[in-house]
Amino acid sequence: MSTSELPRKEANVLKGHEGAVLAARFNSDGNYCLSCGKDRTIRLWNPHRGIHIKTYKSHGREVRDVHVTLDNSKLCSCGGDRQIFYWDVSTGRVIRKFRGHDGEVNAVKFNEYASVVVSTGYDRSLRAWDCRSHSTEPIQIIDSFSDTVMSVCLTKTEIIGGSVDGTVRTFDIRIGREISDDLGQPVNCISLSNDNNCILANCLDSTLRLLDRSTGELLQEYKGHACKSYKMDCCLTNSDAHVTCGSEDGSIFFWDLVDASVVSKFRAHSSVVTSVSYHPKDNCMITSSVDSTVRVWKT
Amino acid sequence: MDSDEEDYVFLGTPIEREEEITSRRKKAAAEASGNLRSLPPWKQEVRDEEGRRRFHGAFTGGFSAGYFNTVGTKEGWAPQSFTSSRKNRAEVKQQSIFNFLDEDEKAELEGTLGTSSQFDTFGFTAAEFARKQADKEQKQRPSAIPGPVPDELVLPASESIGVKLLLKMGWRHGRAIKDSRASSLYDAHKEARKAFLAFASEDVKAPYPANEPDEEPESFMAQPVDNDTQSSKSLPAFVCNPKQDLHGLGYDPFKHAPEFREKKRLHLSNDKQHGYRKAISIKDSLFGSKSGKAAPGFGIGALEEYDAEDEDIYGAGYDFEETCVEEDEEPSKLSIESKQPSRLSIESKQKVVAKDEGVLPGFKVASVSDYQLERFDPPIIPKDFIPHHKFPGPLETLKKLDVPSPPEVPPPDDSNLKLLIEGVAKLVTRCGKLFEDLSRKKNQSNPLFSFLSGGDGHDYYEKRLWEEHQKLGDQAKLSLDGKHSPSAQKMTAEGRGKLLGEKPLGRSSKETTSSSIASREFQLQFNLSDTFKKPDSFNKLPEVAKPFKNDPAKQERFEQFLKEKYEGGLRSTGYSSASNMSEAARAREKLDFEAAAEVLEKGKWGKESMVSTQSLDFLAAGMQFTSGGLEQVKDTHAEELVTKEKYPRREEFQWRPLPVLCKRFDLIDPFMGKPPPAPRARSKIDSLLFIPDSVKDAKPEEDAITNRDVPAAQTGAQKTIEAAEEEIEIVAENVERPVDLYKAIFSDDSDEDVEDTNTKKVEDPEKKIEVATTTLNRLIAGDFLESLGKELGFEVPPDTPYSTNKANSSAQIETPNSDAGIAKVGTVEGHGTFCAPNVGTGTSLNPEQETTQGSESPKNESIPGKPVRYSSKHTDGLSESISGKVNAEKFPPGDKKVRSPSSRRRNWSSSSSSEDERSRKHSRRHRYRSSDSNNDSSSDDRERYHPRSKGKRKRSSREKSSSSRKHSKHHKHRSRDSPSRSHHGSEREHSESRKEKRKRRN
Repeated sequence: MSTSELPRKEANVLKGHEGAVLAARFNSDGNYCLSCGKDRTIRLWNPHRGIHIKTYKSHGREVRDVHVTLDNSKLCSCGGDRQIFYWDVSTGRVIRKFRGHDGEVNAVKFNEYASVVVSTGYDRSLRAWDCRSHSTEPIQIIDSFSDTVMSVCLTKTEIIGGSVDGTVRTFDIRIGREISDDLGQPVNCISLSNDNNCILANCLDSTLRLLDRSTGELLQEYKGHACKSYKMDCCLTNSDAHVTCGSEDGSIFFWDLVDASVVSKFRAHSSVVTSVSYHPKDNCMITSSVDSTVRVWKT
Repeated sequence: MDSDEEDYVFLGTPIEREEEITSRRKKAAAEASGNLRSLPPWKQEVRDEEGRRRFHGAFTGGFSAGYFNTVGTKEGWAPQSFTSSRKNRAEVKQQSIFNFLDEDEKAELEGTLGTSSQFDTFGFTAAEFARKQADKEQKQRPSAIPGPVPDELVLPASESIGVKLLLKMGWRHGRAIKDSRASSLYDAHKEARKAFLAFASEDVKAPYPANEPDEEPESFMAQPVDNDTQSSKSLPAFVCNPKQDLHGLGYDPFKHAPEFREKKRLHLSNDKQHGYRKAISIKDSLFGSKSGKAAPGFGIGALEEYDAEDEDIYGAGYDFEETCVEEDEEPSKLSIESKQPSRLSIESKQKVVAKDEGVLPGFKVASVSDYQLERFDPPIIPKDFIPHHKFPGPLETLKKLDVPSPPEVPPPDDSNLKLLIEGVAKLVTRCGKLFEDLSRKKNQSNPLFSFLSGGDGHDYYEKRLWEEHQKLGDQAKLSLDGKHSPSAQKMTAEGRGKLLGEKPLGRSSKETTSSSIASREFQLQFNLSDTFKKPDSFNKLPEVAKPFKNDPAKQERFEQFLKEKYEGGLRSTGYSSASNMSEAARAREKLDFEAAAEVLEKGKWGKESMVSTQSLDFLAAGMQFTSGGLEQVKDTHAEELVTKEKYPRREEFQWRPLPVLCKRFDLIDPFMGKPPPAPRARSKIDSLLFIPDSVKDAKPEEDAITNRDVPAAQTGAQKTIEAAEEEIEIVAENVERPVDLYKAIFSDDSDEDVEDTNTKKVEDPEKKIEVATTTLNRLIAGDFLESLGKELGFEVPPDTPYSTNKANSSAQIETPNSDAGIAKVGTVEGHGTFCAPNVGTGTSLNPEQETTQGSESPKNESIPGKPVRYSSKHTDGLSESISGKVNAEKFPPGDKKVRSPSSRRRNWSSSSSSEDERSRKHSRRHRYRSSDSNNDSSSDDRERYHPRSKGKRKRSSREKSSSSRKHSKHHKHRSRDSPSRSHHGSEREHSESRKEKRKRRN
């Protein structure tokens, strides 16, 4: 993908949230997106047409993360009320609430089969919840982190968590190993490359670090943006050619994956960019910000 | 026909026929000519112009009108049907009065109403009329000027003589003539105020016709009565305030909430003028939130508490809105004033501004106020005043400044003694005379301290003391000169200590410092060892002693740290160079530095001239472990320390996914059918909190490993790693042992040491050295302990090592448990998931059991941790002996030693998961404290949590013993095992002993 194909034109502005939008995520096919924010709501949008479809209200405090299953039938969300909500997308009802975290829950993800929700948060634990059974107790609690866990990623066989203690820990279920990569800097967000071979970690020293997952080697560092005090997402483009991340001044950065040069940088929001999410197939991206908007970017 | 009528006599009234109409008409015409007027009234008929008779008698039809007695149309009175279609719309009929008038009435109306110019005495018509008149007259009169006079020249008088007179008297058009000032003034004022308010909301550009609204009444009154300016106010000025809303006339939506009126108006005007200023400051209003930092729009429920997380972290650092509005208000006010006639004096302008600022919403400024602002001149400062505060009672040290210097004395030959003297002197200077007395008393027998009581080196001591005082005085003076009020205001004891260059006291005894002199003494003791080094010794740090020479930046920070630590004086606020470091990293680094510094200092103190880099690094690594945690220690071996700074580091651990998780992920459980993996030691924080525990935990676990024949090679590797860890841990412990008050008192530290050496049967040389170097510290600590113990009134165990009970514990594992497997399952259940080491020993656990255990773990959180009672027992020596007895009875004869209760306590506390968990949670905030403080706080927490869980614990333990089959088996086995148990009456004691044994076995 050449640089010119980066999504830099604002296609739509999704307005509706009051207050900061904390996360915005495409669904698996990229036709819809979800956003959640300080106003305790989760909103479902069609970003391509700029339409607000549905609002999910039940959280008692801000919603920090949301994830949707592959078949778009269920949602999970988490937030400041220390609970994980398991929603039915179409009816907008809460199917189940998982309580057990002792602190705010920062991140939540479904596994591939949507049978397990993995959540993590301020209580330093990573918890796996069962969606199949009616048990509201976690299946497993992983508490080897020593500080707040900010972000979690799942592959088919692994659970990966990034924490403020500077480690990215991979829990491989298949072989029963925990691999800890200490980055030395608080990790704000982790995201997997599309080939699942690398982890991109957004550290609080305003640096994105790309790790090789098999060796734990630091492949590249991406700098230039400001990320010092807010939880901000980062991601790779769908072709894995570029790395993108927001900045605390409201701009969006694109780096070349290989030579780490800033390929593109533009001002997208008036305030902190909290989240970026790249379309799984097209050259399209959504960003959310504290300025209560979600913006859709296309080439 | 007429002749016929003459001839016949007619009786009655003939019924008229239609045919007779013509004749009737003729007749009517004839009558109209006038001759019929003479007829008597009853004979007269009313006829219309056509000669038709319109009025009939009551029996002949009444009133008839028009077309067949209709209104003149064929259809008569039938109403007009209203039709209106889209194509053919019915036009709206404009009706006038003429629609309803008859022709005659119309004719009558014609010309009667109309303006007559004769009556138009004012305005143009009058003038015109006058001119015409003049014209007419002009024509008739001969004139000097031929031709018509130009209109411009001759004009009629426009003003009456009365007006002229009034004007001469000073009256102007548009003013009232009345003299009653008060009422008019009031009206004017009211109107003006109204106008002003309206004006504020309206566009400022509109010319303001009114008079000054803001002028104060009193100033107004003060002006001369015949002042032109002032008299102009007499007439109220009306400001048109167009109605722009949709409310009914006279309806005031803000009637009961006047404070919103301003807001609304402000809002509107803001919208009109500056679109971007949307925000209205509601700071002052009732609904403004108190904190002001809450996220906009989202309150929280009434039952939820509002804590730090609810603050709007995304909000801007400062309040834009407020400043914006304030800026907004000022100019508008000023602009109004500037629009006003310039007569308004500056003074009154200021007054207005000052007044309106303080007005509360819903109130208005009093128009008359008796209050007069009285101004006083500032007091005159005496010429000789020096703006520095002199403390009436100077510090003790400062007082001694004028003490003459004692004679120069050469330092004693023994540099060791010299160091000691210097240290004591420094300490005495800092802590006061009391310390000197104390230490003198305490060290009477110690020949090393003979200099205190006039022995060897006393002169030198005196000299040093004086010097120190001098130095301290200088510092104090310096700080007095240099420092100023801002910091002085909030100077705490700590700040003062910093100022005086004291080393911050260890936090471990923070709570006790103020309360008991004993702990204070301890404090001093601690500081004593701290001050036994030359301040300048670190300035010329040898190359070998640079522990962080791999990282120049860090080394630099380390040196800075040393400087700050030992030189005293004013400290910099932080590592300026390390400002980019995170708080956590800084804290960790600080711990590292502390450790390294201590190591360095020990090297000096122990008179080991050359400290090898190797051992130094090793020690540093050990210390680092205490702060950093277990994971770090794994690779902070001497060699790895070199590459320590390189990130990212990768480590691998064993991790066991639970079977359910594997199932849900559709994977095969890698541990299916296998015994549970050797557990990883707990996370950093835990090891930070419970260093001694982890040592203990690690040990039996290791034993278990040796006893078990777990095939995995990795276990062996881990074992070695753990062995290495242990060494380091022990070292670390030794280093910081004297710091921890509680530990020093209640734990038999050497016990563990000996235990470990016995276990391993390996004497590592480094450790030996370390032990040697720390003996003195220990000596001092022990010394202190003795005294403290005396004061608290119980026996302190002698420092001699206890005989190990390790053999016992391992023996227990092997010995009588024929049904070990089952018993162990019970053990696992009892302890829950958190006591990882114990779980590790359950060799025969199958996955299902583990699951159940996992699901039980939340319940287990409330399982007893016995330290409740023990910690309370610690306070009296009696209970100690009791528990000792219990132990003696409980243990098989092979057990030669009575473990001190405290060590047991710790044992339990480490195994009781709930407490661990809680205290960990609780102490999360303190995690950046130094390790010793963590230790202390954790033990503190433990005690704090005890009462809460006590009752529950008892119950749960009891019910478990009754309900669980396996457990009861275990129970039976136990009772077989220790028959002496029946001697103890209390059930509690039983479960306790069971627990104890279980623990040991593990």
